[in-house]
Amino acid sequence: MNFWFAVLRQAGRNLKQTWTSQFMTFLTVSLSVLIFAFFYLIYTNMLGAGDRLNDELRLIVYLEEEPGPAMQMQLRRKIENFDDVEEIIFISKEAAYKRFAKQLGEDSDVLDDMPKNFLPASIEVVPLKGLRGYNQIKLFSEYLASLPGTEKVQYGQEWVERFYYFTRLLTIVVLLSGTLLILTATFMVAYTIRLTIMGRQDELELLKLVGATNSYIRTPFLIEGILQGFMGSIIGLSALYGLFRWIISHFTGPGILHIFQFDFFPPIVIFIIILCSISLCSIGSYTSIRKFLKI
Amino acid sequence: MSSQESTEEAMASGNTMIEMIKVSRTYHPNITALSEISLSIETGEMFFLIGPSGAGKTTLLKLISNMEVPTKGLIEIAGHNINKLKGNKLAYLRQKIGVAYQDFKLLNDRTVAENIAISMEVSYKNPKTIKKQVRDLLDQLQLTDKHNSLTGELSRGEQQRVALARSVANSPRLILVDEPTGNLDASTTKRVMELLNRSKQAGATIVIATHDASIYKQGKHRVMELRNGVIHSLTRGNT
Repeated sequence: MNFWFAVLRQAGRNLKQTWTSQFMTFLTVSLSVLIFAFFYLIYTNMLGAGDRLNDELRLIVYLEEEPGPAMQMQLRRKIENFDDVEEIIFISKEAAYKRFAKQLGEDSDVLDDMPKNFLPASIEVVPLKGLRGYNQIKLFSEYLASLPGTEKVQYGQEWVERFYYFTRLLTIVVLLSGTLLILTATFMVAYTIRLTIMGRQDELELLKLVGATNSYIRTPFLIEGILQGFMGSIIGLSALYGLFRWIISHFTGPGILHIFQFDFFPPIVIFIIILCSISLCSIGSYTSIRKFLKI
Repeated sequence: MSSQESTEEAMASGNTMIEMIKVSRTYHPNITALSEISLSIETGEMFFLIGPSGAGKTTLLKLISNMEVPTKGLIEIAGHNINKLKGNKLAYLRQKIGVAYQDFKLLNDRTVAENIAISMEVSYKNPKTIKKQVRDLLDQLQLTDKHNSLTGELSRGEQQRVALARSVANSPRLILVDEPTGNLDASTTKRVMELLNRSKQAGATIVIATHDASIYKQGKHRVMELRNGVIHSLTRGNT
């Protein structure tokens, strides 16, 4: 019989003896992983969607008058003075009219009675890809609004603002659920191991008497913690994957999920979540061993 | 050489198994259990401790197995100061010491076989060897039919024999037994003593604390009588 066979058997005995509290801890860890991973999955998908939206972000500067070539040069210089931009496109009143008519498609005949210059001239500014933060965009739009001859700047402020605040809220929820995971994984496992140790004082005393080494006595408790973390995270993530598949199959029609590309975690993130869960449960287990298992 | 191997070699080869020099043990607040005990026990010797209840016999055995620490004095087992050993070194030494105390220290929710096997499991013995050794010991102590019984369901005499079987199961070099025949009839006492004698013949040193004159008066073993924590006499049996 080797060391690992002996300690695994001992761990099995521990699990069997205190299976009710072990099962409750396992459920708590699974649920914590599920809650954390659920919010984290939404968060990462929102970030991805935000990135894609940012790629298509354009600031439209409506002008009071159509600028001549000299004025265009001046405005271009002014805009580039603030920051480098990806692209600056000047749209004349006529070009705006044509665009609008094209967008209306078959209904473009509603414009027949309208003059060709009823839409304002504008400048379409495509910011650099690095200009991601909401505050940066806001600052840029304020700068553009202060340019002479500017009537209004539009970039879907309300939508961008809501999206930004929702992402911030999600960050807080992810942090809170992460804290919940840390607390449950460490404290619940520590508490269960403590119960096991208390319930097996006689056996531990006997093991010391017959010459069991410290590792022989301690390792099974550590294995319990590792198992709780591993099994808890596997079950939590599997439940989340089930939920993800269900959402995908039920909400793939026109709707918000149709707009956003909704992806599950890549393998590396799954691996990191499992590793974190194992580490947290092992820390809980180790704390109890150090505190209550006097050898 | 690993510390496990060196412990084993020291216990097998040395001439003196137990060396106690001026050992005292005092309990709070001021109760002296043992006072200035000096004693040498040779390797392979069977040594008897006698004396009235409360004389200090059990305390002496617990000091030898390091379950208690002396207030003063030196205790060496096979040349190792047992109170200075820690961690794995102490564990390996304890693997070579078999103990059966009066409180038995059995796991009542485990079977008889599991209780005996525990002392071999900590030394990572082969499961087949463990199984065979358990059956042999149960056979020798007339407990074969109790193999799968929970120890909590046994009589005190049976529990005593299980504790004794566990103490000799791992072929220890030193066996410490406290009142091994206290709850047993004459024929079972004989079997128990046969078992301990077989261990002695295999080279083990045996220290037995007892009130039972019938076991220490046979043969020419040394018998030490304790009274009020001090050595009252040290004689040879049958003299």
